Amino acid sequence: MKLEAMAVMLPDVASHPNRAPFTGVLTLVDEPSTKPPSGARGHRVILTRAAALEALPSLLGMAVDYAPSWDGHDARRKCGIITQADVEGTRLRVAGYLYSKDFPEVERQMQQCASGAMGMSWELADAHVEDMRAEVWTLTRATFTGAAILLRDKAAYRDTSFALGAARCRTFAARSANPEPAAAARTHRNFRDGAGAAFRMNEKGKDTTWNHKRATCGQAGIRTR
Amino acid sequence: MESQTGDLRTGGDTNAMSENLERMAERMEAAASLFERTVTQLEERESARTGEVQKMVATVDASRESELQKKLEAAEQQIAEMRAQMEAQVETRGESRIEAQARSARKTVPAATAQLLAKQGISTLETVEAGALDAALSGLSLEQRIAVKAQLLRAGVVG
Repeated sequence: MKLEAMAVMLPDVASHPNRAPFTGVLTLVDEPSTKPPSGARGHRVILTRAAALEALPSLLGMAVDYAPSWDGHDARRKCGIITQADVEGTRLRVAGYLYSKDFPEVERQMQQCASGAMGMSWELADAHVEDMRAEVWTLTRATFTGAAILLRDKAAYRDTSFALGAARCRTFAARSANPEPAAAARTHRNFRDGAGAAFRMNEKGKDTTWNHKRATCGQAGIRTR
Repeated sequence: MESQTGDLRTGGDTNAMSENLERMAERMEAAASLFERTVTQLEERESARTGEVQKMVATVDASRESELQKKLEAAEQQIAEMRAQMEAQVETRGESRIEAQARSARKTVPAATAQLLAKQGISTLETVEAGALDAALSGLSLEQRIAVKAQLLRAGVVG
């Protein structure tokens, strides 16, 4: 399995009252959507893997929002942030934080709804369609401008998911001897075979790699491998 | 008196002006919506040419679904109306057929013939026996007998 991952590093704050970690599957890559997305003029779409990978940086730092009816996007209800995005197989997985204190209704919804009932949806801008006459549009380029938490059957992709607290987002503040500035740093990693643990924390190997990178680069900021 | 006329005139002018304004507002609204539609069409044409889509959201296209839902509802209504029309036509046809049958079943003969038959002891025309009819018509001339029998035949009294 090939996995491409990218994350925004946030300083770790123990028991933060307004951060509830979440994970989810935002979309599928190289697979047609179950239904036509809004704005696709009735066409189902395929987000190519290449386009998704190219667009991963645009996804980080974008907000997750929700609509009170849980059936779409409401850009004025930004209830969280995406800090990590991985393409694992055909799934584009995301992780991040919800502002749980500010938006208790989201946590309430997650507690009340049936397991697996919630999904996710992306919002794209400046998408390029390979052939607009095709029955299924192939998106070869796009920019993620946001995401939404919604009922899974309201999403154009049925196989999306959203869960609270399943994993914690990667943060490297506690890993370094030197305190990391609050400003975000970013990594871009390519994992191969068995590296599906991109969302797991406290892995010695990653710590070693990270510390090595810090020592060699000697600076905070965007880091790419 | 003059002032009243002036007031009336002013009132009339105001009404006319407000009507004019309303008309203008309507026309401007229509022009604006036409302009919006044109812009949308131009954007769609442009995006179709370049393959660019400004915004896309991975939610089920509710507008399209509602549009399809409306079309479905309209189609269902049309089907219901057509079905009702067909049923009404069938009913009308059935009624007219029944009427026709009833009409054909109704055995009427001219009043003179009926009176003649009554005098001969045949008061009902539902069932007339051949023997009784011949006996009743025995007093008539051959031409009269033929005429009466022809009328009874047309009326369906005799086969």
